[in-house]
Amino acid sequence: MQYIKFYVTVLSFCGALCCHAQVDHFELSGFVTDAGHQPLHGATVKINSLTAIADADGRYHFPDIRQRQVQVAVTAVGFESYTGTRTLTQGANTLNIMLNPQTNELATVEVMGLTKAQEVNRQAYNVTAIDATKLYNSTMDISGALDRVAGIRVRESGGVGSNFNLSLNGFTGNHIRYFIDGIPMDNFGSSFQINNIPINTAERIEVYKGVVPMWLGSDALGGAINIVTGDRYRNFVDASYSYGSFNTHRTVINTAYTSEGGFTVRLNAYQNYSDNNYKVMVDAADINTGAYAPGTKIRRFHDTYHNEALITNVGVVDKSFADQLLVGITLGKNYKEIQTGARMVSVFGGWHRRGTTIMPTLKYKKENLIKGLDVIVNANYNLGSEQNIDTVNARFDWFGNSKPTGTNSGERSRSLYKYRNNEGLSTASFNYRIANRHSLSLNNNFSTFRREGSDELNPTNAQYERQKRTYKNVLGFGYNYDIEDLWSTTVFLKHIHQNNRDGADARNAMDKLGYGLASAYYLTPRFQLKASYELTNRMPTAYEIFGDVENQEGNFQLNPERSNNVNLGAAYDFALREDHRFSLHTNLIYRRAYDYIYYRLNNNQSKTVADNRDGVETFGGDAELRYSFKNWLMAGATLTYQHIMNTQKYEEGYSGISPVYRDQMPNIPYLFGNADVAVVLQNVGRQGNTLNIGYNLLFVHDFYLYWPSRGGDKLDIPQQLSHDFNVVYSVQDGRYNIALEAKNFTDTRMYDNFSLQKPSRGFYLNLRYFINKK
Amino acid sequence: MNIKSNTLFLGIATATLLASCNKSDREPDNPGNFIIAVTPAASTGVADYLLTASGLDTGRISTTGQGVEQDGTYRYYVTHNNKFFSMLYGQGNPGAVTTYNILDGRLNKLSNFQTETVQAFAPVNNDLLLMKISRNITNPFASWYRINTNTLQIESEGKVNTAAPSNNGELAHFSWIKQVGNKVFAPYFSIKACCSASFETAYPDSAWIAVYSYPDMQLEKVIKDNRTSYIGRYFVDGLGVVENGDVYAFSASVAVTDGKMSSTKPSAVVKIPAGTTEFDQSYFFNVEQASDGYNITDWLYVGHNKFVVLVTTKGEKGQYAAGKRLGVINVVDKSFKLVTGMPDVDDINSLTNMSNYSAEDGRYGYVGVNLKSGVGYVYKIDSDNASASQGLRVDGGTITAIEHLD
Repeated sequence: MQYIKFYVTVLSFCGALCCHAQVDHFELSGFVTDAGHQPLHGATVKINSLTAIADADGRYHFPDIRQRQVQVAVTAVGFESYTGTRTLTQGANTLNIMLNPQTNELATVEVMGLTKAQEVNRQAYNVTAIDATKLYNSTMDISGALDRVAGIRVRESGGVGSNFNLSLNGFTGNHIRYFIDGIPMDNFGSSFQINNIPINTAERIEVYKGVVPMWLGSDALGGAINIVTGDRYRNFVDASYSYGSFNTHRTVINTAYTSEGGFTVRLNAYQNYSDNNYKVMVDAADINTGAYAPGTKIRRFHDTYHNEALITNVGVVDKSFADQLLVGITLGKNYKEIQTGARMVSVFGGWHRRGTTIMPTLKYKKENLIKGLDVIVNANYNLGSEQNIDTVNARFDWFGNSKPTGTNSGERSRSLYKYRNNEGLSTASFNYRIANRHSLSLNNNFSTFRREGSDELNPTNAQYERQKRTYKNVLGFGYNYDIEDLWSTTVFLKHIHQNNRDGADARNAMDKLGYGLASAYYLTPRFQLKASYELTNRMPTAYEIFGDVENQEGNFQLNPERSNNVNLGAAYDFALREDHRFSLHTNLIYRRAYDYIYYRLNNNQSKTVADNRDGVETFGGDAELRYSFKNWLMAGATLTYQHIMNTQKYEEGYSGISPVYRDQMPNIPYLFGNADVAVVLQNVGRQGNTLNIGYNLLFVHDFYLYWPSRGGDKLDIPQQLSHDFNVVYSVQDGRYNIALEAKNFTDTRMYDNFSLQKPSRGFYLNLRYFINKK
Repeated sequence: MNIKSNTLFLGIATATLLASCNKSDREPDNPGNFIIAVTPAASTGVADYLLTASGLDTGRISTTGQGVEQDGTYRYYVTHNNKFFSMLYGQGNPGAVTTYNILDGRLNKLSNFQTETVQAFAPVNNDLLLMKISRNITNPFASWYRINTNTLQIESEGKVNTAAPSNNGELAHFSWIKQVGNKVFAPYFSIKACCSASFETAYPDSAWIAVYSYPDMQLEKVIKDNRTSYIGRYFVDGLGVVENGDVYAFSASVAVTDGKMSSTKPSAVVKIPAGTTEFDQSYFFNVEQASDGYNITDWLYVGHNKFVVLVTTKGEKGQYAAGKRLGVINVVDKSFKLVTGMPDVDDINSLTNMSNYSAEDGRYGYVGVNLKSGVGYVYKIDSDNASASQGLRVDGGTITAIEHLD
């Protein structure tokens, strides 16, 4: 190992400038940076018994020091620590510290260090943060990264852009809420979903299980996912392009320019394209006779997906009135062909969808607006539209042949229905530090929905169009008590109000109050215990209340759902001898949901409709173990088990106990896990180049499609074992990167959903260029 | 590395062991030539289970650990040519039809083939005729498919115009289809077929039957009667052909206009004499009058001009309300008798619709009765004295079909 000695630069050492002299009062502030003048966010600065953490700009501040002689100790992960003694002068003092990296220690940060993602993991909530930056050389989207988190299973119906269903401790769909930088994504439209946002857009992804912090101001039943895009660099370019199997192209460009004066332009653009023409094994029906040719291996032919997005922000940073004030626009569109229905035997050849997002945005952030008060304000309005296009009056078979129906049927139901939801959102959050260990926070989140739609093929529809509106307000209040590295506790209240209107006459209002608590305690600096509880409430969404006009019927009588969520967790970091380092995180969860919103078929079985049921009860646990050896080997595994029980004791219309009461809920994975191994070889070829070789295993236990207790001859979703490999070669400390990926290496047939086959084996090449300047 | 993988696999092994511990107890099966389709009453994850039974008069069957699981939430069943067809109702999507016969009292899968989601189906000659009926005003057609029950393939297909029969600006939605002589009778209700008023009509006081040739499915004529409302109901066969070839048709009189029940005519039975394609204007059986207010929602022919009828009271009447009471009618005598010996109507959740069983011996019919307690029974109805007696017990779901194969 190589130990480079650290050095300290004292840029300026100001004398006493204080207006009114005060005995024994000293103030010390400054910046902690690396040798390249990049701020070291999260560096710990200790002055005698006081501690401060450097902020995103690397700045630390001790407003009130009572001794003249101070011991200064500065530590940051991956850097040599600094210690020294200073003599302060009365009033303000400045000390800028530059730390030198422990280059050869970097790899062990994986386990032992405290990156920003791991810092999030230390919160009292049952939270897992993914450090997205480590996945930048892959072709993943957000959902792919989430699939590796304990407790999460992302079920996909096909390839790039296919429908997904994320399950978090058994909760799925609308029970989970999604956020970007704390802003709810409810109104982002189909062009911005976790299955089409590339991982490079994010700096990290935070998964809150069961108990959702009140500053994420929304009504979630089973948890929340927050994508943090971050603003790590003031000036940088990060561009990547990948090409691979099934004619898949992806491009991501991430860049920012910030002038000395604080003017900033930030641009994030990305594109996904795939033919998704992977081979599947199907019973291919003859369109004329209906006879099946069982076990036909054939390529998908109508599954092209592409989306393009551009997120632009212009504004100022580091001004007296704002740390950040940005106005921007988010533009996106997507095109999606639909190959199959709910079962792979139903095949389509023309049906597709389009969606657009046109969303002006406003972001404002200011820390210490008045001393101790941080303010964040966000607003946006989506003017985009969604369209379902089914105009081909024909029936297709798997060979791509078609046969006209001779009617005006479309393939499924002829439609050109186009609608705009006109969804607007504004959030404001205030955090006030009353004293060293106490802080209060207030969050308000207001959203609106107003649907307009029309179908040029069916003008009579307009007679029945009624204006559909909802207004929702979520108000949260929290109190936080924090003794750094020992104990932290948060209590919070959330009040949700929602108003729904259907046309002129039908209207209703709902109010719900929820509350929660999260607490974490360090038994030793490396052993943390956590407990959290929340009574969650979720209001029905506009889609659930009004339907989507195509496949979903509205239910104006729907009640809000609620759940009692409990988490217990433990995290332990340890080393066996110096070189073998481990980190173990385990969680136990309990969920009890009432008035659970689920989907059933309507009277004519022509559409689905949301309805309330008594609920479900879930016991479960998950564990994650990570290991590293020296600085070149890393491995990890997660395992999740959940027992999700039906607690609907009586079905509507029955007085006897339901035959499936306390039966395990069907068609939900209950045992699954991931394992990964990575080897990092430094200085391959030449100094500063690294070679990273990784392997990832996905395991999902088989599960029943329908209730386990019913029937003898049953349908199931078979076990999945998927092996993925990747090799990344980085040149010039990560400026140029070339990566090769192999997915589903053994080419097994994999299913997340009954009969819907996921992609066969695929290979992808990814090129990435990254540069940043102060 | 080793420590990690050992921990993972130990964990998997432990959890697998835990997961495999809660296998439910199987109940003994009941081999036989009756096929009972049972749907567990559940809010979600609903599939039908096909169970066999040796007889309907006695015994017990259950879905606990028994039955052949059928994919899809709604399925419909029909027997023809000594084969049992299990059809998926797939929300507009094509779907698989599974065919079974019975071997040694157990279901034996013959084949799968693909058809469309259909709203009416019936045996015609050696075929099964299926109809996919549009409920959208922009598509005034119904597609038909003729399945050969020997080859189990689609023999031919075509379309009929559903705006043509009434020619009133609405669409004809066939309540059901039935072979009568060498023709196919398709009684229908008129629907607006748009938007939130899809299944409403401006013509609540007429009964219609479209008459098609077979196998060409050419519209030959439309017969109409204004003495009652439309014949049959959504997914309910309103026609009965008796031994001498006369056709009887019932109307529940449940048309809806502007969200309200709008038929002013009574629930009644009308007649098309054998060999003709006209309503017999001299025959009219006013069921509501004869029964003192009941109206028919479904019926089962038991032979000798007698039908076991499912009825609702005036108060219970509705577009989708299915009768929980039974009566026996003789369409020649125009008599109505309420069946005795049935469970108290307050204890009944539902009666099996459309797929009850009779050997058409002129006396007995078998009707599925699903009690609110969650237990179901097949009741044996003696049409001679309009009495019911409890038969086969069915646990773990509601009885949706009772079929028989030789």
